[in-house]
Amino acid sequence: MILRPCPCEKEVAQLLAQGGWPAACSPELRAHVTSCRSCGDLVLVQQAFQRARAHSAAAAPLASPGVLWWRAQLRRRQAAVERVGRPILGAQIFALAVNLLLVVVFLAYQARHGLSWLSWLAQLPQSFTLHLEALWPSALADSGMSLLVLIPALATLALLGGVVVYLAADRQ
Amino acid sequence: MNWESILPNVFAGDAPHAAEAPMDPPMDNAVFAGFYQRSARPLWAYLARTSGDPALADDLMQESFVRFLCASRPVSLQAEGEVAGRRYLFRIATNLLRDHWRRPQFASIEEIPEEFLAATSSSAQSDSQAVLGPALAQLRPRDRQLLWLAHAEGYSHREIAEITGLASASIRLLLFRARRKIAVLLRQQERNQGLQLNPPSRRQP
Repeated sequence: MILRPCPCEKEVAQLLAQGGWPAACSPELRAHVTSCRSCGDLVLVQQAFQRARAHSAAAAPLASPGVLWWRAQLRRRQAAVERVGRPILGAQIFALAVNLLLVVVFLAYQARHGLSWLSWLAQLPQSFTLHLEALWPSALADSGMSLLVLIPALATLALLGGVVVYLAADRQ
Repeated sequence: MNWESILPNVFAGDAPHAAEAPMDPPMDNAVFAGFYQRSARPLWAYLARTSGDPALADDLMQESFVRFLCASRPVSLQAEGEVAGRRYLFRIATNLLRDHWRRPQFASIEEIPEEFLAATSSSAQSDSQAVLGPALAQLRPRDRQLLWLAHAEGYSHREIAEITGLASASIRLLLFRARRKIAVLLRQQERNQGLQLNPPSRRQP
């Protein structure tokens, strides 16, 4: 579609915007508007929309600005808390990953160096009384370094369990 | 306990950005209240006329103001002026309207039967609504938006392009077509109303 704007359109639009139509309009321009379709459309549409705007604006039911301000504040706080919570979640995932890595390393170590501490563990229920001296370093020396590895491993598992429980509770 | 004192950077937006640019004074409640009083009525009129649903206009207007306040890079009324703020507000409202029409669970304005809109309009008291309402209802939502922004709000083509997200070059043509279409509808209605008021007299035998 080729648009050929009427040269008077700008002047008519200006008069309409300033509220000067038709009082402040020359008779020539008024005569032009009655004969020019483009300018006639402009006057008709602009006047209809201006009237509609005035009526609708007068009928607008306005909420209190304080309520909107308060709603916006609440939403901003919620967004801020979510933004702050994101790195915490990242740290939790990182801790979980480190723990899992430790478990894998421990299992790999045990698989490579033999499960000597298992035989020690198997002998434990066979004795009728629990000899505490078995836990002393001299006894440890008998079973190699396995107890030294076992205790941190159990501690890691306990920590891991705690993290998993915390994450599950946090999700709920 | 004040949240702003605990999390100043989070509320201020991106910390590096805030450090680079000089900080504008944050909009306070009183400034917002003044802006709201001056902008809410035109915004409501725009939403109500382009959607044809005053209840929806209420919801979208409130949501527009809340989003305006929550914007990550808000328009500073002091620095950029209220005109820019209002333009930004209309942009938010236009996007909300578009999202509403796109949502599948709600009936689109184009799917609402014409009788519904005509009934809503005819029940209105104002003459302008009775004339413009049915004519607007026959236009596409985008045309209604363009016409309202140009002829009711007086925005330039460039500003309309900014608000609607359309290309600035296409606004002129779209607006020209829409104006021609609604002018035909308005003239048709004027003729019909004239016929209703002054029915052609039948010649008595």
